[in-house]
Amino acid sequence: MKITVCIKQVPDVNAPIQIKDGQLIQDSNRKILNAYDASAVEAALVLQEDHGIDQVEVVLIGPEKAKETIRKALAMGADKGIHIITEEENSFDSFAYAQLLAGFFKDREYDYIFCGKQSQDTDSGLTGSMLAEFLGLPYTTNAVGLEMADGDLTAKRQGDSGQEIIELPSPGVVTCSNDMNDPRIPSLKGIMQSKRKPVDTISVTDLGVDLSEESTKTIINSYEEKPERKAGEKFEGEPEEIARKVAQLLDTEANVI
Amino acid sequence: MSTLLTYISVSDGKVKRSSLEVLSRCNQLAEENGLQSDALIIDPKANEVAVKVKAYGPSTIYTVEDPIFKNHLNTPLLKAMATALDQINPNVLAFASTESSKDILGALAANRDAAALADVSEFDLTNTGVKAKRPVMAAKIISSVESTSYPTILTVRSGSYDLIEKSVDSEVKEIAFSFDESDLKITLKEIIGATGDKIDLSEAETVVAAGRGAKDEEGQKLVEELASLLNGAIGASRALTEAGVYDPSLQIGQTGKVVSPQLYIAVGISGAIQHVAGMANSKVIVAINKDPDAPIFDIADYGMVGDLYEVLPPFIEELKKIVNS
Ligand SMILES: Cc1cc2nc3c(=O)[nH]c(=O)nc-3n(C[C@H](O)[C@H](O)[C@H](O)COP(=O)(O)OP(=O)(O)OC[C@H]3O[C@@H](n4cnc5c(N)ncnc54)[C@H](O)[C@@H]3O)c2cc1C
Ligand SMILES: Nc1ncnc2c1ncn2[C@@H]1O[C@H](COP(=O)(O)O)[C@@H](O)[C@H]1O
Repeated sequence: MKITVCIKQVPDVNAPIQIKDGQLIQDSNRKILNAYDASAVEAALVLQEDHGIDQVEVVLIGPEKAKETIRKALAMGADKGIHIITEEENSFDSFAYAQLLAGFFKDREYDYIFCGKQSQDTDSGLTGSMLAEFLGLPYTTNAVGLEMADGDLTAKRQGDSGQEIIELPSPGVVTCSNDMNDPRIPSLKGIMQSKRKPVDTISVTDLGVDLSEESTKTIINSYEEKPERKAGEKFEGEPEEIARKVAQLLDTEANVI
Repeated sequence: MSTLLTYISVSDGKVKRSSLEVLSRCNQLAEENGLQSDALIIDPKANEVAVKVKAYGPSTIYTVEDPIFKNHLNTPLLKAMATALDQINPNVLAFASTESSKDILGALAANRDAAALADVSEFDLTNTGVKAKRPVMAAKIISSVESTSYPTILTVRSGSYDLIEKSVDSEVKEIAFSFDESDLKITLKEIIGATGDKIDLSEAETVVAAGRGAKDEEGQKLVEELASLLNGAIGASRALTEAGVYDPSLQIGQTGKVVSPQLYIAVGISGAIQHVAGMANSKVIVAINKDPDAPIFDIADYGMVGDLYEVLPPFIEELKKIVNS
């Protein structure tokens, strides 16, 4: 049995960001493994430990520099990496990435494909279910728990109110929430071993996907700072005193009681 | 005529306000651009629900009725969507952003060869597509995005538009649909922890949110008391949903829900950007935290610095006086 996890390198939302002429300027060294994908890798590794899954591999589409993110997943414990290399500046949207991933998976063997539920920087949350549709596979999104029995997965999906327990036969696609687990921090040994693990490289053109004009269906025109919320008044002192003041202001000034 | 189609989210027979917000916006765009604004309801009792949607004046309300839609499941929903879209052929299909719509947005777009824009906070039409604003980078930044082709499918954050009633004699058209259970592929075994009768967090006027500072039973009791006094919904930070103190569906933030109430009270929450991403659009923010430097104070309209166990009891008493007077 094989699980392939789609991982993405994303900007660190905690790092300082500037906007210049409508463009995002950020230190390119502050790129990380998408947090939701780290949870997907963790989930695959836990299943491997508990159910003797033969192989956990990771696939990433991104520029040369993104190799470090593949190494990170290998250091966590994944067996193998595949790097689909793109030019430095591409403007693919989820639709294009999903098409490329579909092109990659078309002739490969896998039992399950795991994705993150969304990219941490864009919060799009589209690629996983797009990929499933392109491959004609059943899928479930926003999984917060996974169990395996007789080679088939049961996912706990966080819905609008309750959690849906969904049986997903293989082959299928799961998108993972970070509420599923706490991704392991690679050990020193893991980091050493990751250097000897195989990483295949494929160029985008090798995938044979026709990325015509229409494959990127959305474009980003510009960025702007979110209008900042100003800090209001901060009350310190005797609890009874500040409680009384704020309660009254909520009534008379803010009019929300 | 080219149309804007709004999908009406229904849960337990109740129409989600956020989808009527989307419909109101589509009505407005239709009027401005000489287009038609229609609605689509997919539910076991879609025709009954249609009556409630009439007040918001879509030209045509399309309904798909089948018992299979009692609970959310992506396979039949996608099939119903595809059937409906074949018939209606809209330029734009808009949903309220919910876990159910997010579950199918990508697959539906792939299936229809359509552009998809997730979780927008504003949208408008261009000659060839839709332009929209989307919060990105944990909602610190707003991106201006555009789809370059029709159809475009989008989901809209709750609270982005006001409800506007409109008296038009909507026509209801039922769309024939059948679903073979053997096409299900995935099986819904059970639903756990559904909070059916409680106030819907994503649409609540008042939200009291608990964080790690309020993690013990006494803290929870105070939070519950405050929420029930103000007739508000309870929400939580990840620290407390992760610890199992609150149901995961109550998580507010980047991973959890986006809320935009009139009043948001953060109790023992530090204000990490991933939490703020889900509540920064609240009208009035109150924060109670014992650390005067907690980042939540940077966005709070009223900050109360102190131990929540000492501040909340008198705060509740003072509010009681106001509520009861
Ligand atoms: C990809 C990603 C997605 C995430 N998504 C979410 C999300 O959707 N929602 C979310 O909430 N988080 C999310 N997080 C986690 C987030 O970064 C924070 O870890 C989390 O919000 C912290 O919760 P907290 O404020 O309750 O706890 P803490 O940060 O531990 O803060 C507790 C606060 O309580 C105060 N306090 C303690 N005791 C008292 C007392 N007696 N009286 C008054 N104040 C007290 C402390 O001063 C402190 O400020 C996400 C993280 C990542 C990486
Ligand atoms: N460039 C990429 N390489 C590999 N996987 C990707 C890539 N882009 C998106 N994904 C997968 O799709 C998920 C999120 O998609 P989205 O939010 O649509 O960007 C990520 O968590 C990954 O699992």
